Amino acid sequence: MTAAANKESFMAQAPQVAAALPWLADADALQNDKAAGWMKALRSTGAEAFSQTGLPTLAWEGWQYTNLRALTPAKFRYSAEPVKFDAAKIPSPLLGAHRVVLVNGQYQPKLSSLPEHVTVMSLMEAADKNIAGIEEQLVTLGDLGKNPMTALNAAYLRDGFVLVVAKNRDVAEPIEVVFYNAGRDAAVYPRVMYRLGENAGCTVIERHCGEGAYFANIYASIVLESASRMRFYRFQEESEAGLHASNTVVQQQKGSSFEGFSLGMGAKLARQEFRLQLIDRAISSSIGGTYLMKGQQSHDFTVLADHFEPDGKSVQHFKGVVDDQARAVYQGKIHVRRAAQKTDGYQSHHALLLSPTAEASAKPELEIYADDVKCSHGATAGQLNPEAIFYLRSRGIPHDLARSLMVESFLGGAIEKVSYEPVRDIYFARVAAWLAGRGA
Amino acid sequence: MLKIKNLHVNAAGRPVLKGLSLEMKAGEVHAIMGPNGSGKSTLSYVLAGRDGYEVTDGTVEFMGQDLLSMEPEDRAALGLFLAFQYPVEIPGVSTTTFLKTALNAIRKKRGEKELEPAAFLKLQKQKIQQLGMDPEMMKRGVNVGFSGGEKKRNEVLQMAMLAPKLAIMDETDSGLDIDALKVVSEGVNALRGPETSFLVITHYQRLLDYIKPDIVHVLANGKIQKTGGPELALLLEEKGYADFYDATEAA
Repeated sequence: MTAAANKESFMAQAPQVAAALPWLADADALQNDKAAGWMKALRSTGAEAFSQTGLPTLAWEGWQYTNLRALTPAKFRYSAEPVKFDAAKIPSPLLGAHRVVLVNGQYQPKLSSLPEHVTVMSLMEAADKNIAGIEEQLVTLGDLGKNPMTALNAAYLRDGFVLVVAKNRDVAEPIEVVFYNAGRDAAVYPRVMYRLGENAGCTVIERHCGEGAYFANIYASIVLESASRMRFYRFQEESEAGLHASNTVVQQQKGSSFEGFSLGMGAKLARQEFRLQLIDRAISSSIGGTYLMKGQQSHDFTVLADHFEPDGKSVQHFKGVVDDQARAVYQGKIHVRRAAQKTDGYQSHHALLLSPTAEASAKPELEIYADDVKCSHGATAGQLNPEAIFYLRSRGIPHDLARSLMVESFLGGAIEKVSYEPVRDIYFARVAAWLAGRGA
Repeated sequence: MLKIKNLHVNAAGRPVLKGLSLEMKAGEVHAIMGPNGSGKSTLSYVLAGRDGYEVTDGTVEFMGQDLLSMEPEDRAALGLFLAFQYPVEIPGVSTTTFLKTALNAIRKKRGEKELEPAAFLKLQKQKIQQLGMDPEMMKRGVNVGFSGGEKKRNEVLQMAMLAPKLAIMDETDSGLDIDALKVVSEGVNALRGPETSFLVITHYQRLLDYIKPDIVHVLANGKIQKTGGPELALLLEEKGYADFYDATEAA
């Protein structure tokens, strides 16, 4: 389909939304670059789709609980100019030596280093070289009309990188990917792609961080070729004034396995969406997460496990704590298509409210069209048990420590699922630091 | 060591303890017996510092300090221990972590050095063996999936680890069969000594066959109605509490 054809069909469907247009103010200028025709077409498609919807409002399906008021378009501007930054401010590595650094979405090869059998290049370079599968992986974005964040990201398709793990290679050392945002009211739209060849394996640690005010709208697509294995761990530690919207689509081929986990503790407002697509047989997919929200923070985990074929297993396991006037949202869905017999699907969400003004909302959903499946879910929201706190105190454990112990043990139920011990330890350390910071 | 004077306590706005006085010396074992609703559990909770009780009059002095003005954790550090009638389940916190945190918190508050992990584990192992407990239970969440007897044994284990000056045993016999009762009692008796006192609260005389008290008090209608030696418990077993209700009504 050409860009022109797209334009006509979109125009026929809906008029433009005035509030959407300021978001696209910097998109036209971008089109003067040397990007491939199909990339430019994709940008136009994204811009046009977004211009007809604007950002989702509370009336949108899937957006009932997350209010995007904090996103004022006039404030956040995109720039394709090379970003100026102080390299000393980029956090030092969590583990090991291998990492990929992005600043405002722009890949920084000089700050990056990679293990053997892993190739990384900027998105533009990958497009120029027409790396196998890139066009297909970029163009398959789903229904942009229903995913305004994705559409907006597509309108600014330029930054980000492509990471490829060669087939049959198991990369032992973790690869850290740092998304550092330098603030100054920047809108950043990185597009990142991870592709694991057949029977490849790797561990990726994504860190989202920065300083000052910015809006980071990230689209990550992960393709796991048959029998490949990926561990994907994210730290959403954006700055206090930062805004984070990420869409992570995991397309899994036959016999592949994915283990994902994300910690949400930063940003003023954050939404992390995960779409697990189990498009062939015998796939194992798990995604877990935990959030730690305080002050006026708001965090949203929205997850879809989509089973296309038989014998798949998906697990969603989320736990979080909310303090002060903070808010947390979990929306989890398991979609089992007609062909996906013998599907084993599970989802759970448990929230702990530490203050009477904290809020947690959960929407668990099962949508099942096959008849021989096993799916279950559980969701709770509660407070710390005062009886348990008294029990601990009566044994000499101070009140603050008793509360911390209870919160840590509560979150531990989710974090323990992280199979890679060094990262699991860091998650636990983050929880301990958060608890120490709030004085429990 | 413990001096309770004229203690008046309201629970949910209703007077439960109405002028209770009691004095214990170091190394003594006192039993408090009384019918349901006499205020036995209220007394144990007020001493341990649980929320929800209003002290309207009276004083409690423990180790020379005003107990009622202290936080529960400070009372524990001073040497008070309550063995709960219904021990609380705490999923996710292993018994070992719980014990280590408690012991070190108390040591820290007392100005002692925290125990090294190896020293702690050695101590724990020794106490577990004495109580005939399964070491595997230490890895499980506190009291989670424990039987009634295991929970009570776990209370005694905590008592043994924390080595209190005064242990209050709130209906420790409830829900225990005779074998469990023996094990728990042996555990308690092993802790008896010139520096350790016990306040054993019970409805039934049975427990006192195993934990021999020095002094027995009868609690009814929020007050100590009578104090005597071990023979008082036997008398109660025979005659019940009816006489004490009468005494209170008349008063």
